[in-house]
Amino acid sequence: MYDHQMPAQGDDVAHIGVTLRPHRAYAAVVHGATVLPVEPVAPARADLEGVIAAAVGVALRAAPGGAGAVTVDLAPLLLDTLVRTEAEVPPVAAVRIVPRAATDPALARSPAELVERRIARRWTVAGGHDLLGNELTPLDGDGLALLCEELAGTGIRHVAIVAAGSQARPAHEREVADAILAAVPGARISVASDYGGQGLVAREATVVIDSALTALTERVLDRCERTLARLPGSLELRVARGDGGYSTPSRIRVTPVVAFGATEALELCGAAHLAGLDDCRVLLSRDGRPVAGEVRHGLAVVRPDVPVGIGTELVVPMAVLTGAPPDSYPGGADVPVIRPEAPPHVLACVGAAISQPASWLDEVAFIESAAELDHVRRDAEERATAMVMANGAAPGSTRVAEVSTVAVPYSPSGTIRIRVRVAGSPDTSLAGR
Amino acid sequence: MTGQPGYIGASASITAEDVPALYEGAKFYSPAVGDANRSSITSWLAGLLDRNGPVPLLRVEAVPPETPCVSVCVLGSGSAMADLPPAGDEFEMAVRQIERLQRVSFGAVYPLAAATISALVAVVAAAQLRVPLLDADGMGRTFALIHHTAMHLSGVSPTPLAAVGPTGESVLVEVPSGPRADRMLRANVDTVGGWAALAAYPTTAGVLRRAALPGTVSRIANVGRLLLDRTDPDVLVTRLGTITGCRRLARGRIAELEHLSRPSDVTIPAHPSSLVVEETGGLGRQLRIELRSEIVAVFADGALVAGAPDLISLLDVSRGVLATLDSLEPGDLVDVLATPADAVWYSPRGMEMVGMGSHGIPLAHPRRR
Repeated sequence: MYDHQMPAQGDDVAHIGVTLRPHRAYAAVVHGATVLPVEPVAPARADLEGVIAAAVGVALRAAPGGAGAVTVDLAPLLLDTLVRTEAEVPPVAAVRIVPRAATDPALARSPAELVERRIARRWTVAGGHDLLGNELTPLDGDGLALLCEELAGTGIRHVAIVAAGSQARPAHEREVADAILAAVPGARISVASDYGGQGLVAREATVVIDSALTALTERVLDRCERTLARLPGSLELRVARGDGGYSTPSRIRVTPVVAFGATEALELCGAAHLAGLDDCRVLLSRDGRPVAGEVRHGLAVVRPDVPVGIGTELVVPMAVLTGAPPDSYPGGADVPVIRPEAPPHVLACVGAAISQPASWLDEVAFIESAAELDHVRRDAEERATAMVMANGAAPGSTRVAEVSTVAVPYSPSGTIRIRVRVAGSPDTSLAGR
Repeated sequence: MTGQPGYIGASASITAEDVPALYEGAKFYSPAVGDANRSSITSWLAGLLDRNGPVPLLRVEAVPPETPCVSVCVLGSGSAMADLPPAGDEFEMAVRQIERLQRVSFGAVYPLAAATISALVAVVAAAQLRVPLLDADGMGRTFALIHHTAMHLSGVSPTPLAAVGPTGESVLVEVPSGPRADRMLRANVDTVGGWAALAAYPTTAGVLRRAALPGTVSRIANVGRLLLDRTDPDVLVTRLGTITGCRRLARGRIAELEHLSRPSDVTIPAHPSSLVVEETGGLGRQLRIELRSEIVAVFADGALVAGAPDLISLLDVSRGVLATLDSLEPGDLVDVLATPADAVWYSPRGMEMVGMGSHGIPLAHPRRR
């Protein structure tokens, strides 16, 4: 006998994908090969709560076990909030840890106006390491003490910290974070070493956006969880990631920037799912302009890039759609090209509903032998696997979807960049948490 | 850039509006380095050009022969520079050090390599020093070592040279032999953070008339404009061919990235890697592409079809942009492009210095067979 309090599992459950736009939400229910777009009927509401409730109702009618999980795409709301100057976003303090401060004003700030306007105050503290973790300058203790004193007086509570070389050795970032927490109890700190990646400016923009989105993300996820708690069954809440996978709400609460830019990857995966393809090129439309992206092995092709509307690189990967000539396919026709008929919000909802837990790792390492390369690669794969399980994958279900190691050009021999992408199957025991 | 009558295809000055095209064109001539600091570098240069005004871009012949000139470039890793961006004064400081040593005031700057970030920092230095930029360089692309230049082949010494790191620390090198300078610099570059601003090859415009490669700065701007005009890759390759002479060797998907990790000659940075590309359509060949810091050879079904000093680059067909070597992924669809280098590199001395033999591939260049 079916118990509504038990997590719904197996083929008898449907999954719900939701994309949250600034003025309304959309949802779709996916049950096997069946996709049911959800359109609340008046007087039902088209906001987050109303759409989720309507979707759960559709799922109950479509699948014997009702809905198993709800995956929410927060990205459109997050971007809208960042772009609108009048949006309520907490002011962010940015701390750079580099050997010396910039002498040119353009190098002292973010090249992206959208990022810079969220920064209420900047500090530079002398310190930092090189790409391989060698200390370039000792951390300036006096400068740090002054920063803490000044920060405490500003009332700013959201702090973004980036140190040169912190991907390899995060010691300076951690020391600064510890000092700030001691001086400003309750400060919400985002450190760049949590995200890896390349480029100080991109890493700084990532943690600034992370800090700026924290409060909004908390509020939205609170709403989602309250809504699910009121509905029948034991629904699992998932949050779509920029790479088209998903994470648990608890992970997104501490790393909200990971949810940024998810919509494009979801649309690609949704279109591929509707076409029944694992590998394809997807032609979409943006403001009447044709754009394209790719799906390989069921996953959207993603990479760190400059997201539309941001103006600078971020280190979290996402599917950046590129301009596509309307009547030609440059791929040499070795993969199918699809032009989905469903509206973009339906594609995004379908992509969210079918998404898998995912993780991504992008690091620089130093090797001196083939054996050491194998070790570094295995270690990276194991850490990425641990991350994907923290993001909601079932034990034993994970797979390395992509891995690449390339020599870093014009660097000392043995310097390599390693990137790993791991995906897994949902851990259904997480339902209702 | 503003045009100059009687000088077709070249330009009279560089403005902030030219920066995106310069960046893209510079990447074509050295696709090794990724875009992790593109927005930072381009906004820095555009800001300088807005504040200090356009930088005059002059043919070497348009400059009085006795004018002291100096080249600048980024020495070391683009990834290191992305993670430890310039404070902003490194290139000016490097030039000033040589000025103090030689008791001269440089009247023009030129890029050591009109490619990658090195092309842009030459404009930065010219803007900061408020001197013209010469439409010429020493490589016409990027080679691994600082004596791999047309000036070196013409007997111009790279020294005295100054390297200033992002830490603000600097090193001044005076050696009788160009190759020794590079060896001495490498250890210092690692110590100051993995990259340094280099000022080298102080000489006169008269010497550069015979020793430098002309027109290479305006060339990258022209190439960059094509690349910014995101179009069908087939059309793009055809257009690039008319400006650069490049041709498509094959289109295919990256099947494998092999990091061989065998030790290499210490004078050639980076471990050798290989790329396997399965040709889509066409002859269905398998391409093996040999990487160092640049692509140095392409074999199609075992036959050598292109090699250094050819400039070999990969166009990401799906995205319509150049693929940089540190961002390649299995599954990417790429056009493999080969562009002839400047003629000086196919001379016996040029081939000895930068040909395939210098990368441990002792085969005759396809152009010589």
